[in-house]
Amino acid sequence: MSNTLAIAGKELRGYFASPMGWVILGLFALLFGFFYYTFMDLFVRQSMQLSQFGQGPQAMNVNQYMIRPLLQNTSVIILFVLPMITMRTYAEEKRSGTIELLLTSPVTDLQIIVGKFLGAMALYTAMLLVTAVYMGLLYRFGDPEVGPIASGYLGLLLLGGCFIAVGLLVSSMTKNQIVAGMATFGTFLMLWVVSWIGDSAGPTMRTVLSYLSITDHFDDFSKGIIDTKHIVYYLSFITLGLFLTAKAVDSERWRG
Amino acid sequence: MIEVNHLTKRFGRVTAVDDVTFRVERGEILGFLGPNGAGKTTTMRILTGYMPATDGTAVVAGFNVFEQPLDAKRRTGYLPETPPLYPDMTVREYLDFVARIKGLPPAERRPRVDTAMERTRVADVRDRHCGKLSKGYRQRVGLAQAILHNPEVLILDEPTAGLDPKQIIETRELIKGLAGDHTIILSTHILPEVSQTCQRVVIINKGRVVAVDTPANLTKRLRGSEMLYVEVDAGAADARALFERLPGVTRVGETGRHDGAVGYEVETVRGQDIRRDLARAVVHEGWGLLELRPTGMSLEEIFLQVTTSEEPVAEVSHE
Repeated sequence: MSNTLAIAGKELRGYFASPMGWVILGLFALLFGFFYYTFMDLFVRQSMQLSQFGQGPQAMNVNQYMIRPLLQNTSVIILFVLPMITMRTYAEEKRSGTIELLLTSPVTDLQIIVGKFLGAMALYTAMLLVTAVYMGLLYRFGDPEVGPIASGYLGLLLLGGCFIAVGLLVSSMTKNQIVAGMATFGTFLMLWVVSWIGDSAGPTMRTVLSYLSITDHFDDFSKGIIDTKHIVYYLSFITLGLFLTAKAVDSERWRG
Repeated sequence: MIEVNHLTKRFGRVTAVDDVTFRVERGEILGFLGPNGAGKTTTMRILTGYMPATDGTAVVAGFNVFEQPLDAKRRTGYLPETPPLYPDMTVREYLDFVARIKGLPPAERRPRVDTAMERTRVADVRDRHCGKLSKGYRQRVGLAQAILHNPEVLILDEPTAGLDPKQIIETRELIKGLAGDHTIILSTHILPEVSQTCQRVVIINKGRVVAVDTPANLTKRLRGSEMLYVEVDAGAADARALFERLPGVTRVGETGRHDGAVGYEVETVRGQDIRRDLARAVVHEGWGLLELRPTGMSLEEIFLQVTTSEEPVAEVSHE
């Protein structure tokens, strides 16, 4: 555990020792802010229109009409941002040779992988915490329900965890950060759009593909529903990703 | 302390290490000598648990590196060819991190880091970022990292590569100072390094061990016969015939002539010093003796001989 935390700490420090961590944090806050403003603007105008037709402003639910689409859009933003976090994790260590230090130290592969995963998760959590400030502002002027927000954030954490696990796997297979970043992004995109293909497929296929699509499982979280089915999906996805990363690192050892 | 038995490593169809066997005793410095691509780094990587072997066993500090990797790694310090530094960390942060993943208890970390920095003389750059260090400092921080947890076994891959002459001498002294409490394997393709720092040498070429011996013995082993270089001004006379008549001489070869002087290589039976007889004979003839010196093979030549020729070592003759 102490080894894992040491590596997680090193990863997190690595993000903020270079401008990268700050750039990602800033970029994410900016993108989130843009969508936040857009949806809020839309919400305000719609509720004003409604009130002109004689219905009160409370008729529109801020959770349903603003926070939910905002969180769903966030799930797409992280699809673009997370590859930047994970692309260097292994690739950079391999390029600079520091992987030799890790692999010849008395730590297991799994401790290294989980350490790197936790490090990336910590940065990702920091990103989400920044957006929590925006959410807090809503309480100043409105009265959103806390439940759906919390479940939405839980969903985002789990979804991001899956992305990070995939990103680690891809990064462990190359020396080149750019290749790792592009391949990770491509994989994320596939995991996202796989349900679109499902829309035009037959009913059985549609169910299967929609179940596979990593973002479809997020819908319920954004609605405020915490379904164990989705939690199990995400946790097993993360486990599989980390397991495959361990296999990739091990096979790299044999091949040299 | 280190036992390597029939170690083999294949990458696909390429055999990088082929049936390598050797031992290193406690407190000894073993030199690993060979041209680039001989399999030195691969062997070291196997010993440090970085990669598994295809075949054979390796025991480090009493632990099999394949079966008990964590125990073996705890007792091994490793300096790879490029020091594994994180450019964004300061030297101090870096060594703290290494101390943690080497499993040092929290109370010991700080003193150990301080000791390692002192021994490798990097204390003056402790707050500089590793990425901004000069090559010499980088190498030394790498060394500090390797000795940090006071391992029983040190494996150093080309520890002096890329250093300037002064730093090379300092590093060698440091390594010599570490022997005794540590068992050291160091690899190099620079010969003087081996004769200056190592007690024993393993010469490796194309993945195979070519010779294992002390630097002194290796030199002796190659001197199946002894060789003298003589330069005389004999006028028109034939010095060669005279030398051939001397007892103990097995062969005389002419190496060149300039300004009336002729240079000869005189090969003699091993253990027989004919320099006095030879000098006396030359003077007796009334010729001028311009030069007379024994030409033993330097380790450099041995290295070239053993690694470039397939012939048995003892039959090597000087061309």
